[in-house]
Amino acid sequence: MLDVIELALRIIGLGLIVLGGFASLISAIGFHRFKNFYLRLHAATIGTIWGCVYPLTGASLLSITLSELGTYRWFIAGASLVAAIIILILAPAGSHAIARGVHKAKIARVQPCIADLLDKDLCG
Amino acid sequence: MKLVELVLLVTLILSIALLLTFAYMYLTPTSEIRNLAVFYLVTTYNPQLPFYTVNSPEAVTAIVWDYRGLDTLFETAVFYLALIAALALARKLYVEATPEFNKGNEGLSVIVKTVTKITSPMIIAVGASIGLHGHLTPGGGFQGGATIAVAPMIIIIVFSVLYLLTKRVTTEKMLLLRSLGLIGIGLTTISAFIIGLTAGRTTYVFQNMPKFDAPLGLPDKLNGVLISGTLWFFNLFEMLAVASGFTMAFIVLMLVKKEG
Repeated sequence: MLDVIELALRIIGLGLIVLGGFASLISAIGFHRFKNFYLRLHAATIGTIWGCVYPLTGASLLSITLSELGTYRWFIAGASLVAAIIILILAPAGSHAIARGVHKAKIARVQPCIADLLDKDLCG
Repeated sequence: MKLVELVLLVTLILSIALLLTFAYMYLTPTSEIRNLAVFYLVTTYNPQLPFYTVNSPEAVTAIVWDYRGLDTLFETAVFYLALIAALALARKLYVEATPEFNKGNEGLSVIVKTVTKITSPMIIAVGASIGLHGHLTPGGGFQGGATIAVAPMIIIIVFSVLYLLTKRVTTEKMLLLRSLGLIGIGLTTISAFIIGLTAGRTTYVFQNMPKFDAPLGLPDKLNGVLISGTLWFFNLFEMLAVASGFTMAFIVLMLVKKEG
């Protein structure tokens, strides 16, 4: 029974780490290719949430199964989980503050624009 | 102007190239440890050498506050002099009392404010942990204090500096805390000396652990917990002083008006 749980944790953890690497790649491509500031900010947030929170959670789950680390695996697991939660709280707030500040200060235009309900002047 | 820039650039590149070509012979790190490093590594936590050890597993803090403690004391003094100079420069340029302050309109949006409310106690807790575990893990008083000072800075940016002032975090109080920290550091330096005076034995200023000719020192453990003598107190007071000093500097910097 314990082996099954350990195997499941290991597979989920490895899967999350691989997902994080893939998401980081997508985020980098998006950061390079997206057309305006707000979309690039979206790509950057993909890099922080999918590319940091998920791999950290995966590392936390994976380190629980690594019995050769001894007691230190609980330190790694706890630290990774806490770091993941803190990034989960902080990253959206940071990107929100940047986007709101830039939009309110009319620094970046929304440029291919379909609709900008907050400020029509910035559209297009 | 162009020629000057070009000459400057070429000189810079050539000097870096010279450094990289010739200096690497002398700067390459070797695999063997030097005798001085061996001395510090062997004595920093070694109960079998009672008159040499500092009883602190963290060698950097042991060096900073024990082996070369006087140096660090003067570094601390320099930091406080810099802060005093900053305050003296800005002494007529800011006003702290602002009665017409309405809460709702100041600062960033509700999302950022909520996140700041959650994370600023965390920042202070992490800073306190870095500072108070300075004799056990990497870190120490200055690093812990600087980490704690991040919390008021974020609050200033997110809520505005007047919010901090309405919460009674004023420069006078920070000055008081900073002076308390400084007095604590001063008292810690002469603590072993005072113990020796009261016991009528030989002790030195800035002494931490017992030495050959001064067998009376500070205890390495308090109630079974390792505090490494003076190191824990130095870290505590330094953390207090640095955190309050930085907070004071941030408040003054944010309050300075353009038209004095």
